[in-house]
Amino acid sequence: MSALVAGILAVLTLTLIKATPLIYAALGGVLSERSGVVNIGLEGILIAGAFTSVVVSGATGSPIAGACCGIVAGALLAAILAFGATRLGVDQIVAGTGLNIAALAAAAFGIVLVYHQPGATHEVPAFGRGGETALIVLAFAMAVLLHAVLNRTPWGLHVRACGEDPGAAEAAGIDALRTRFTAVVIGGAIASLGGVYLALAELDLYSDGMTAGRGFIALAAVIFGRWTPLGATGAALFFGFFSALQFSLQRAGIASELMQALPYLAAVVALAGFAGRVRAPASDGVPYLRS
Amino acid sequence: MTMRALLGGRTTRDLLVVVVLVFGVGSLAMLLAHVSPLDGFGALFDGAFGTREEVAETLVQTTNLLFPALGIAIAFRAGLFNIGAEGQLVLGGFAAGWLGAQIPLPAVLAVPMVLIAGTLAGGAWGAIPGFLRARFGANEVIATLMLNVIAVLLATYLVNGPLALPGSGASETPTLPHAAQLGDLVANSRLTWAFPIALVLAFALRWVLQRTVFGYELRAAGDAPEAAKRAGIDLGRTALVAMTLSGAMAGLGGATIVAGELHRFNTGLSPGYGFIAIAVALVGNLDPLWIVVAAFAFGVLQSGGIAMQAEAGVPRDVVSLVTGLVIIALAGRRVVATRRTT
Repeated sequence: MSALVAGILAVLTLTLIKATPLIYAALGGVLSERSGVVNIGLEGILIAGAFTSVVVSGATGSPIAGACCGIVAGALLAAILAFGATRLGVDQIVAGTGLNIAALAAAAFGIVLVYHQPGATHEVPAFGRGGETALIVLAFAMAVLLHAVLNRTPWGLHVRACGEDPGAAEAAGIDALRTRFTAVVIGGAIASLGGVYLALAELDLYSDGMTAGRGFIALAAVIFGRWTPLGATGAALFFGFFSALQFSLQRAGIASELMQALPYLAAVVALAGFAGRVRAPASDGVPYLRS
Repeated sequence: MTMRALLGGRTTRDLLVVVVLVFGVGSLAMLLAHVSPLDGFGALFDGAFGTREEVAETLVQTTNLLFPALGIAIAFRAGLFNIGAEGQLVLGGFAAGWLGAQIPLPAVLAVPMVLIAGTLAGGAWGAIPGFLRARFGANEVIATLMLNVIAVLLATYLVNGPLALPGSGASETPTLPHAAQLGDLVANSRLTWAFPIALVLAFALRWVLQRTVFGYELRAAGDAPEAAKRAGIDLGRTALVAMTLSGAMAGLGGATIVAGELHRFNTGLSPGYGFIAIAVALVGNLDPLWIVVAAFAFGVLQSGGIAMQAEAGVPRDVVSLVTGLVIIALAGRRVVATRRTT
């Protein structure tokens, strides 16, 4: 009996560990998309957060400094997308795709420059148990906070208005371009914490391909969670749970590939409307520029 | 704003941006790696053009990018973002490798069968987001993005699990029988008939887009969906057909990689051709003939990048970095000129 309890506890703990980076990335995606900017570049932002935090932690010996710089890196990457989306009206999908490719390559190149070896950085000072727990708790706190900000504050209302109809928002006196820019950049900062968590809490290094498509799973979580912070967090937990179960189910003879495909299948099903009404913000991904 | 308004119009500014990115960022990265740009680019171009075999390999890389890039252009011209070329290419390669190793046929039949299998598999994978878009209005960007990952996982599962063939190793099919392999064009190289096939397809696609009713409807759906709808064009059907053709083109590319280069399916058959092809399609201005030129340019970077790393000690990742930056830079082209009034 106690073995069963221990087993359940182990799966639940692993669920939290697997879900945390997804929650951060998904929350960043929610904020960005509610303002009307699709962020396909979440994967790249995770990479930027993870790689930068490792390099800085290695250089300074302080994981906290690493985390801070990781957040700045994620925000900067998001700022490129935000600037393009709000000032140049670039296509957000194309730009986000480019960001992912560039970030992955830049990190791979950076590893060689800094550590003179391909593939992975050295091990660096990381967060201990306490820090890891704090980051997990912070993810949930962030979800509740974002929920409150989006639904209970004037700025949250502005963000949502810009996501639905930026023209009308501007007519009502809201600076839609600035609101979108800020939302995307803050979204990038939040998402990058997922990368920081992966690199400095779950592990203590950065290696090529380490983010393993979590940015895309987070996009799936945004859709499955219907563009709400709490929904996306729930979806991230759901995906994290299956990821945690993977090892047990694999032993039971279920192929791990099928388990890994689950979040992506869930997103496609949700998109097709099989999982109830799913509606993106009306102006999600539509460039808005003042005439 | 329509996709053509976003992406249309070749300007010298675009070409300038690409050249500056390639040589500017490339040089900067080489300097950071303590390599003189002259040596770095020297190694790159030497690796791409130094010998007959190296020129052949450059054309191989050109071919591998050309198929998915043409597919992406079909979708983009119809106003649809197909980000899923990578998955379509992988599944096309799987179908080709699996069937080719499974069914022994004389060469006359085996090669067409392998190529058609890849085309159909890629087309089917492209049809899924096309159908979801036509029937449920599902966003094809996210759908294709998700289907990319699902495709790789599916192929990995099938090749290791239910469809594993006797004699196949981890994550790959057995070697194709000689009859099912594409013939070499240049000795000691991987250059096959796939290259001329891709060129012919590029010309054919241009003709279809510019000179046929179907091509006109496709472009109309992309340029002015509202007007196209009023003119009686079935947007749902156009989306389905465009996405299917788009996937078929990428799937055929995967099949030629299997039949001509690897002679077996391997889950790692693509180093991201489906994504690099987005850059190729954009640099080629979604025009099939310019895409041939762009595919060659990126083919040079791909094949020369290996030599650049080996000979000059510049990590190959610089090539991917430049590719990503080119995509970002071209995401906004012409938009400044066509600022819309909302």
